[in-house]
Amino acid sequence: MQLEIEDLTKKFQDTAAVSHVSYTMEKGVYGLLGVNGAGKTTLMRMLCTLLKPSNGRILLDGEDIFEMGAAYRKVLGYLPQDFGFYPDLTVKDYLMYIASIKGVHRAAARKRVKELLGQVGLSKAADKKMKKLSGGMKRRVGIAQAMLNHPAILILDEPTSGLDPNERIRFRNLISEFSQDRLVLLSTHIVSDIESIANEILLMKDGEFLHTGTPEEILEGMPERVWRLTVPVHEASKYDKNYKVANRKNVPGGIMLRILSKERPHPEAEEEIPTLEDVFLSYFGEKAGEEDAIL
Amino acid sequence: MLYYELKKIWVKPGTKIVLLILAATLVFACYFAIHGVYYVNENGENEYGIEAIHKLKAAKKEWAGLLTEEVIADVIAENNRLNDTEMGRSEAVHDSNIVFGWKQGFYDIRWMLVRSFCKFRESDYYVPDSLAPEDARFFYGNRLLRLQEWLEEDAQQNLFTGAEQDFLIQRYQAWEAQAPLYYDYADGWNQLFEWAAMVIMLTMLTLNFVVAGIFSGEFGYKADSVFYASCHGRGKAIAAKLEAGLLFVTLVYFAMMLLYSGIVLAVFGTDGAGLPIQMSNVGWKSFYLITNWQEYLLILFCGYIGTLFILSLTMLVSARTKSSVIAVTIPFILLFLPSFIGGSSLEMIDKILGILPDRLLDVNQTLSRFSFYQIGGEVMGSLHVLPVLYGSLALLLIPMIYQVYRRLSAG
Ligand SMILES: Nc1ncnc2c1ncn2[C@@H]1O[C@H](COP(=O)(O)OP(=O)(O)O)[C@@H](O)[C@H]1O
Ligand SMILES: [Mg+2]
Repeated sequence: MQLEIEDLTKKFQDTAAVSHVSYTMEKGVYGLLGVNGAGKTTLMRMLCTLLKPSNGRILLDGEDIFEMGAAYRKVLGYLPQDFGFYPDLTVKDYLMYIASIKGVHRAAARKRVKELLGQVGLSKAADKKMKKLSGGMKRRVGIAQAMLNHPAILILDEPTSGLDPNERIRFRNLISEFSQDRLVLLSTHIVSDIESIANEILLMKDGEFLHTGTPEEILEGMPERVWRLTVPVHEASKYDKNYKVANRKNVPGGIMLRILSKERPHPEAEEEIPTLEDVFLSYFGEKAGEEDAIL
Repeated sequence: MLYYELKKIWVKPGTKIVLLILAATLVFACYFAIHGVYYVNENGENEYGIEAIHKLKAAKKEWAGLLTEEVIADVIAENNRLNDTEMGRSEAVHDSNIVFGWKQGFYDIRWMLVRSFCKFRESDYYVPDSLAPEDARFFYGNRLLRLQEWLEEDAQQNLFTGAEQDFLIQRYQAWEAQAPLYYDYADGWNQLFEWAAMVIMLTMLTLNFVVAGIFSGEFGYKADSVFYASCHGRGKAIAAKLEAGLLFVTLVYFAMMLLYSGIVLAVFGTDGAGLPIQMSNVGWKSFYLITNWQEYLLILFCGYIGTLFILSLTMLVSARTKSSVIAVTIPFILLFLPSFIGGSSLEMIDKILGILPDRLLDVNQTLSRFSFYQIGGEVMGSLHVLPVLYGSLALLLIPMIYQVYRRLSAG
């Protein structure tokens, strides 16, 4: 299976939300990483046939997905960033309805719904109305609905937003298990979400893929090096101004800074092993989203 | 798919309110229909309720049978005899109430006398009191005579074309040719007809609030992305929405109508089913040659076609605009449009009014209206045109809704 993006562009009025992106995905977990407004959602909506590209094509095994239509959507699972549902349906009925419009047969759907509810830890909430669920629970139902039809292509837009740390861990396990023999594309602005499970990371900025590769390649390709340096409190702001500072921590005798810089910022600075968080800061010039940040 | 689509409709809190309104409509309509009939007892007091209805029925049943000249002469004679009693001459309200009670067995026939012996557009309740038994022979012939007198008045000169007048006269003659006609107690049908339009309109308007949300709801809930990204999202899933809407409308409509008519007819009885609709105060002038039973079917199915057309339009607007607020206004516009442009005496406007779908919802009124349409040289009444016209339009709208919704982009 091969999902091929060819020179894909989406313009809204004059601005291009996605600009001349070409990339080929096969089996595995792809982490689409970028700040808000990078174009992640726009790209994903095109991959789900919800938005027509202004230019370029998306091909599944050589066939245009817009021409494939239902045949393509049959193997697709999608969790929108702005996940909406029918508030008065119960969780079970909601999932059964989505299964039906996904073409899953009744009996198979019943089994699958039960199974997924267990996997996302919502078995007890099966008969609750959707509107009665907490934000995290809704998100988990959203993840479950995307997986109802055992999609070969699973596209999740910010799947972890609103999930608490435990839910995130459960989600990561679910995805790594599910992604055997499948293509999973998930977007996030939270590095830790994809650090451990993504086979490939796609760094997206201003509608373009800035850098792509395995986490190792991404780390190796980082243009800056990472340094650790402890400075007196009053000097800290000087470094803030002149360098990208990934982290600061109060220690006895001053503040310990984690600095990104091509050159050693100070003779006493010690070189550190870079993490994806550092990469994010390096490329996007701002710190990666906090664990509990929403959006 | 259809099951869950229906469930989506069913679980909405708004649907519960709609069903409550429908239940209230049913209760009120049945109450109005049943309470609209009273029996005047020997003390001149009004009695209401099922027992009173049975007493009145017994009184009217005495006059059931072929309404020949002799019977009409009997009615006139009996009416005059009762007027000539001491109480009949009395001016006291109490006394005239008692006399009314004596006459209620031939109340319906007396009303037909009013229609027959008054000028076409006039209605003088006391005209039968001035008749003599010999006048009975004019009873059936008067119907056409009054029409012709009216058509010859100046005001009506431009109202109808020659062909339309011929059509009307020919229809009146055809009715008269059946004389003498059968008379029977038919309060069940008459009461049923009187409130049917209210039931139909309120059913349609409340259902409107349900169907207005079926298509736009996906967007309102932001559920459209998942919907359109699903395998059947641009096909069967839309058909299921459409089916759910149509099924819900159909089931609720017929449930309402069958309950309403079932209750009313159970109370009054189905007597008079085969009576020509002209054998009543309301239907006397109608040029449609049908019986009460046929009028019932016409009300039932025209109401359904009208409801289906209007609500399909609501669904189309809901699908097109993605807004249930805009969609919900459609039937109100269609129903109140006539009252806005009405009152005009322009012939063209009259023709347009006669062809608006609200006429389908009030067949009992439409049956007595003189709206004509000429198609291929053939003159027809609006009830010949409307069901076919709006039935076909509804059949056109339904696939349109599907196509419109299929082509929408999500988000
Ligand atoms: N429907 C739209 N109309 C106009 N501009 C849009 C629309 N959707 C997205 N954009 C713009 O496109 C850019 C990319 O947005 P988006 O794809 O949502 O980014 P991300 O998901 O990475 O946050 C943003 O500047 C956004 O304002
Ligand atoms: Mg986004």
